[in-house]
This record gives sequence, structure tokens and C-alpha cells, in this order.
Amino acid sequence: MKNVNRLAPTLVMGAATLYFLVPIWWLLVAASKSRGQFTNTAPLWFADFSLVDNLRELFAYRDGVFLRWMLNSVLYTGGAALLGTLLAAMCGYALAKYRFPGREAIFNVVLSGVLVPATALALPLFLIFSQFEATNTFWSVFLPSLVNPFGVYLARIYATASVPDELLEAARLDGSGEIRTFFTISTRLMFPALVTIFLFHFVAVWNNFLLPLIMLGEEKLFPVTLGLYSWNTQVNQIPELRMLVLTGALVSIVPLVIAFLILQRFWRNGLGSGAIK
Amino acid sequence: MKGKWKALTFFILPFVLLFAAFYLAPILYAIKQSLYKVERKGTFGKATEVFGGLDQYQRVFTDGPFWESIGRVLLFGIVQVPVMLGLALIFALLLDSGLVKGRRFFRLAFFVPYAVPGVVAAIMWGFLYSPNLSPFTAVTSAVDLLDADLVLWSMANVVTWVYVGYNMLIIYSSLLAIPQEVYEAAKIDGAGAIRTAWSIKIPLVMPAIVLTTVFSIIGTLQLLAEPAVFRTFSSAVTSTYTPNLTVYSTSSIPNFNLAAAFSVVLALATCVLSFAFLKVTQRGGDK
Amino acid sequence: MRPPMRSLSIALASALALTACSSGGDAEETTTGAAACAPSSGPVTLTYTTWIPGIENVVKLWNDKNPNIQVKVQTGPNGNGGTYANFFNQLKAGNAPDLGHIEYDALPSFRVQDGLTNLADCAEVTAAKDQFVDWTWGQVSFGEQNAVYGIPQDTGPMGLFYRKDLFEKNNIPVPTTWEEYAAAAEKVKAAGGYITNFSQSDISQFAGLSWQAGGRWFANDGTKWTVNFSDEATTKVANYWQDLITKKLVSAVPPWTTEWDNAYNTGQAWTWVSAVWGANSIKSGAPDTSGKWAVAPMPQWTAGGTVAGNWGGSSTAVFKGSKHPYEAAKFVLWLNTSEEALTALNKEAQLYPATKTGAKLPALSEGVEFYGGQKIYDVFATASTQVSPDFVWGPTMTDTYATASDGFKAVVSGTGTLADALKTAQTKTVATLKSQSIPVAE
Repeated sequence: MKNVNRLAPTLVMGAATLYFLVPIWWLLVAASKSRGQFTNTAPLWFADFSLVDNLRELFAYRDGVFLRWMLNSVLYTGGAALLGTLLAAMCGYALAKYRFPGREAIFNVVLSGVLVPATALALPLFLIFSQFEATNTFWSVFLPSLVNPFGVYLARIYATASVPDELLEAARLDGSGEIRTFFTISTRLMFPALVTIFLFHFVAVWNNFLLPLIMLGEEKLFPVTLGLYSWNTQVNQIPELRMLVLTGALVSIVPLVIAFLILQRFWRNGLGSGAIK
Repeated sequence: MKGKWKALTFFILPFVLLFAAFYLAPILYAIKQSLYKVERKGTFGKATEVFGGLDQYQRVFTDGPFWESIGRVLLFGIVQVPVMLGLALIFALLLDSGLVKGRRFFRLAFFVPYAVPGVVAAIMWGFLYSPNLSPFTAVTSAVDLLDADLVLWSMANVVTWVYVGYNMLIIYSSLLAIPQEVYEAAKIDGAGAIRTAWSIKIPLVMPAIVLTTVFSIIGTLQLLAEPAVFRTFSSAVTSTYTPNLTVYSTSSIPNFNLAAAFSVVLALATCVLSFAFLKVTQRGGDK
Repeated sequence: MRPPMRSLSIALASALALTACSSGGDAEETTTGAAACAPSSGPVTLTYTTWIPGIENVVKLWNDKNPNIQVKVQTGPNGNGGTYANFFNQLKAGNAPDLGHIEYDALPSFRVQDGLTNLADCAEVTAAKDQFVDWTWGQVSFGEQNAVYGIPQDTGPMGLFYRKDLFEKNNIPVPTTWEEYAAAAEKVKAAGGYITNFSQSDISQFAGLSWQAGGRWFANDGTKWTVNFSDEATTKVANYWQDLITKKLVSAVPPWTTEWDNAYNTGQAWTWVSAVWGANSIKSGAPDTSGKWAVAPMPQWTAGGTVAGNWGGSSTAVFKGSKHPYEAAKFVLWLNTSEEALTALNKEAQLYPATKTGAKLPALSEGVEFYGGQKIYDVFATASTQVSPDFVWGPTMTDTYATASDGFKAVVSGTGTLADALKTAQTKTVATLKSQSIPVAE
């Protein structure tokens, strides 16, 4: 009985793993092939291993602009996600733990911000930035990326659930200031939630390409998604780019997987400390 | 009390300011734009923007393809969202049940697709669907996954593939937040894994499921990257296939005013649907 | 040019125009356009946005020799992939680059948005007119006097790419007329291939075919536009291809996909009626067929005819708001006419020059190995002179292409006909023009 109970779930999870990983495997295999072999060898198994050549070509193409895009993406996403998570956490925490007039109004307005289509925001943002002659700059993509209404929503929910009012009261009685309490006590209790918010924010910015597409003219400022997209539109003219797009796509996933692996460790620790109480 | 206000300002103001500048201001700007229209003289005359009242909205409401596309994404959502969230819930419960070894591996494996940018995911699946180049030619040469009947569901598969892991994590993390004491009570009652899942875990993670549903509804109405990429290799995907694609094609005509009106209507439709869903589920919860 | 002279030219323009209404618009444009073409004092830096691969290396040649006119290149996705949308946004915001890459079919859209500087008052520009292939000048001047809204850069005269080996092996004569082409299609089908792949989304290719047949999709009399995708010639072309599609003599793989490359690479598709730049598309898309292709003139509607169509090609335009149109024009003239730049552009991006002498570049006079050593560019040099100069593009081509291609896609999936799809596209185009307040005849 016990074995059956374990077998079925394991089979389900195994099948799902295949579903999720086979396309990634395909990408890895595709990126390891030369252009000639890409179309006429088995799609799921390696032919002559040219991944190193592809990578070399990818990083050398147009004076290594791809590497630059990767760095940009890390800056845009890492920076925006870190700062954005902090801002969202503070706001969500305040909405959860303080009663003040206009609280629900702010919350509802912020929440409905999640519903606005990206296409509706990007174009007006461009026109607003151009009033200040700030388009085509790092900040024109970075600043709007800081705002994450969904993060505020999550932070509020998690703060309500994981930060007991009694603890805050106790801290107040100890004479700890509100802001200090937040950074020393509350953030610790909310840590798993913060990691979640960070992760989702990170991925959202990493994937966002409409805003940079509209804001940026200078190729050197592109994040990697826009760069790959722009190569993909040129495949008509330069078919060589197809292999670079595939190799680039593979490389662009790597930092996220690494980030996730690192965060997962924190997450577990965070959960462990949460369980002690 | 003074400390409270100082702290509140410190906590809330930075976010609210940024939100006002980068969310509210553009939305108001888009609404304003949607109330204008252009006038010009002669075939190459310079366009001047004049107040047009609800002219653009009249166009939006009489635009057949736009409403067809809304119907299409609704159909998409009605089928795809439950499938995706059902899978996410099952996987989250299995991970949480302790019946499966290698939890960390599965968590990572299921989440990896979410790391693939939407545009790249669509390009990738395009190859996997291709009649001749796919690794699964046994399937793709028999059934055209990119024709008018199936392409919507082929895209649904891409979206499902990317987002199941993400939704699973949201649900899973709220499962982890359930205090151990709750389970101990169940253990004493002698409840099995399935009963625990059904009568304890699912009700407790309901808020997370509602949340992911709302976000999936929003995501569905705003489909853009997948149809935009699929357009290049499927005959069935038109330039007005989804509402957002209509917005995008209208703004690249360029007809900024009409595009703004489309976006405003789309945002309103999204709001109405999400709030309606929230209301319905809240009423269910009150019973 | 002095102000009095300018008023004179306005008066002339007004006299030429049909109604007072349109001359109002013209006058306004001439005023803003002409005031600007004077050299700036001191060094200037120009911004130039394009998606030509390897353009940096070409511009470097200029920058090294012209310290006082430095050009800064910005690259992005191709026009319809996002760069045009960016241009429109930037024009609306008033921060467009000095120079931009605009294909001929998109020029009217930019002019309608009042986005282009008229370079007619730059003496060097008007003097260069005769260097360009005649029809290209019509595209950038819209057939008007005193109007130059861009400098032609490259062109896409069309020809017939065909699998020489397969045609010879199966004893099929190379078609010189469309009638023979249809007959060949039957034989190719019998031999197990398709004569070509009908492109469902390259409406500009279909436009090139209609252009050859004498179709004229748009006209503009100064007061209003006329839209006609169902004139006799266009309908003839539509019915012709409809017939091939119905009889399943052509395949209909979505173009520019790996699948499509594959159709050519594996010998499923035997010909492609394409532009000069298609030579490189085949070479890189179908590498296994090296040495097996050849190029012939486009099939004709009347035996012995000498009419060619054009597919693609672009110009370089100076955007409204540029503070240095004089320097911008100077750079573009170098870029698009000097042998040095044209050679570099051809080397980096296979651009086929729009100048008459450009067709004689050494790189374009040699035999091409992939085509069995044939001097294929000779065919296109001749075709280039056979393109009729009076084809006019409409002011909302992005939308027209999208609607027509939606219809064409339905046709290859088995619904409707090409002629119907074109009629729908016409109705939708008229509606789009109206929604933009662009005057159009019903």
C-alpha cells in the first residue's frame, strides 16, 4: 500500500519533468549543432559538438555585444528586483500592519495597477520620458521596472500572516523605533516572502521586452531579450543569426537558473527559521 | 503616534511616488490620448490633434475583429487557466505531501521553463511543432498543430509550459506557510494524505489559488508575445488575433489615439473580469 | 535659398496643385523643409538609426575622414519589427534621430505623419538625381517637383531563381512567360516537386508581381487618395496564383522559417520569383544546393515583353527636427552613391545599389559560385531598368500588409480567394485612412 502510494506520485512527477525539460534539452542540443546539421540531424541528440564554436561566435559577434546585453540584463533585473522588492515590501508591510485613513484606497489603486496591459503603459511612458529627454537611457528602463504592484500585494498578505502584532507591540515596549523594527524583526519573519517577491520581480523584468523595445535606440543599452528579438527579426537577411539566437537563448537562461539555485537555499533557510517559532 | 506617521511616510511614500509616476501618469495620459482624434488637410497634410470625445470608443465598439479576439482569449482562458492551475495544484500538493523524493530537483525542473523569456519560448515551441523539423514528427506530420483549429491550443500549451511551475511555486509556498499544528491535529484524527489534501490543504491555500487565477485571467487577456511570434510561422494567426496584438498593430500604423482607446477598453475589461471573479469567490468563501 | 525665392516656389507649387486645400498643406511643408538646408558652423554629430548588418564598419570609413561630421549609428530590429514604431514614437515626442532607414513602401507613412525633411533645397541632393535609377527617384519624390524626402539606398529588382539542374534533368524549358510558368508548374508537380512556394505573408512580393503586371494600388491627386487592389492587372495576378494554389501546384509553407529553408534545401521547391537580395537568402538558406541554381529574367505577361517588378529596397531619410539637414544630406549622398560606401554596403549586407553606376561595382560584375558561376547580377541590372516608375505606396502600408496577409493566410488554409482577400484589404485600408482623417475616395 505504502509503495503504491509512492509510485503513482513519482510517475506523475517524472512524466511532468519530461514535459518541462525536453524542450530545454532540445534547446541545448540545438545550440550545440552547426547550422548545416541543425536541420538534418536528429533534433534530440547531439551531432558534431559545436557548442564551443557557437559560443565563441556568439560572444565575438559584433564586438561581443551579446556579453554586453547579458551584463545589462543583470543590471536592469538584479538592480530593479532588489530595490523593487524592498520598496514593495515596505509598502505592503505598512498596508498590513498600520491602520490609517486611505489604506484600502491605496491598496486597491495599487492592485488595479496589476491589471493594466503592458502595451498601454509602455507608449505613454515613452512620451513622458521624452518630455524630460530621458529616453534611450539606462534609467528609462530601470526606473519603471522598479514598480511591482504584485509585490505589494504579496508583501501585504505575507506580512499579515507572518508578522504577529504582539511581536511589534513588544518591540515598541522595548523602545525600538518602527523603522528599526521593520529591518531587524519584520524583514526576517517575512524573508521567505521577500525571496518569492524578488524572484518573481526578477523574472518579470528579465522577460520584459516591450518597454526596452520602445525606450531604447542604442543597441549597447539593450537587455538580452530585446537583443535576441532584434536578431530574430534579422534572420531573413542574415540566416547565420538563427544559430546565434538559439545559443543566446540557452545562455540567457543560465543566470536565472543560477539565481534560482542560490535563492532556493535561502528560501529553505528562511523557512527553517520560520518553523522555529 | 508621531513615530507612526514618520514610519508610514518612509514605508509608503517611495513606492507610491514611483507608482504615480510610472503607472498612474501613463494611464491618465493614455485616457487623455483616447479622447483625441487627428485632423489633417490634403493627402500629406500635417495632422493636428483635436478633441474627439468618444469617437475612438465608437470605433472600438464597432470593431468586429477586436471583439472576436476578446471572445477568442476568453475561450482560451476558460480552458487553459483551469488546466494550468489544476496541474500546478496537483504538483504543489505532491511536493508538499512528502510522497515524492527529490523535491528540490522537481521544484527546480518545473520552474526552469519560467526562466525562458516568452519570445524565446514561442520560437522554441515553434520548432517543436514544425511538421518536418520537430523531434516528434510522428505527431506533427499527422496533425497540423499550427492550423486554424489547433493553433490556439498549441499556444495554450506554450503558456501552460511556461507558467505551471510559477503557479505551482505560489501555491506550494502558501502550503509551506500552513502551521505544523494543523497537520498534527489531522494526524491524530488518522486522516490519509488525500483527505488531508482535500479537506485541509486546499481550503487553506484557496487564497493563493484565487490569486493565481486572477493573474492568469489578466495574463490571458494580455497575450502578446506568443501570438506575435506564432504569426511568423502559422497561417492561422492574424494581426488581430488577440486584443493586445490589435493594440500593437494599431499603434504601429501609427494611430496612437485609437490604440489608446483599445488599451483603455482592454484594461477595463480585465478589471471587470478580475473583480467579478474575486467577488464570486469571496461570496463562496462566506457561506 | 532666400525667402523671396521660397515664396516663389510656393506660388509655383500652389499653381500646380489642384485645389487651394492641398496647397495649404504643401506650403506649410515647404516652409519648414527649406529653411533648414544650410551648413552648420562647427563640428556636428549626426544620429543614424538603421538595421543594416555591419553598418558600423561602413560608417567608420566616413567618420575617419570627416572629423567635423561624425555619425553615430544606432541599430535595432528591422522596420516592421519595431524600428518604424520607434520612429513614429520619437517623431511624436520630437526626439527622432537625424537619419533613419526607411523602405520605399514606408516612406508615405512617414510623410503623412509629417516626419520627413524635404531635401529639395539642398543643391547637392537635387544635383544627384540623375545618378539614381529613374524609378527610385519617383519613390522618394512622390512624383512631385521640389520634393525629395529621402535618398534612395538599395533596390530589389526581381528575377526568376530556378533549379537549373532539375529543369534540365526533367527536360522542362525555363519559362519566359507566366503561361509557360504555369505549364512548367504542372510538369514539376509530375516530377514530384513544387514550382515554388507561395508566400502568404510577403505582400510586398505580391505587390512586386502586380507592379510588373501594371497594377497600381494607390494614387494620390493632391486632394485625396484612391485605393484600388482590384484593378484589372492586380486581379489578373491574383487569379493566376489562385489557380496555382487551387490546383496544388505550389506549396504554401510560411516564408522565412526553417521549414521554408528546408523546402528549398531539399529540392521540394524549384523556383523563386524574387528580388536581387534573394540570391543571398537562397545561398544561406539552402546551402546543400550550391551550384545548382541559375537566374533568368522574370516571366512576362506578353511573350517577348521586358517588364520587371521590384520587391523591397530602401531609402535613407532625414527626419523632421534634424538640426543639421545639410550635413545629413552630405553624409547620405556619400553613403548611397560613393563607390567606397556602396562596395562596403554590398560586402557587409549584400545591398544592391540604387545608383546607375552602382550596378557596375566589381563585386556585382563577377560570376557567383553558388549559381554555377553565372553572372547573375547582370540579369538584375537589366531588370532594374525595366521597373515602371509610377507605382505608388499608400500611407498606411503596415496595416494594409497585415490585413492582406491575414486574407492570404486564410486562402492557403483553404478559405476564400486571393482576389477576395485583396478586396477586404482595400476596404480595411480605406477605413484605416479615414480613422486617421486622411482624405480618401470611396
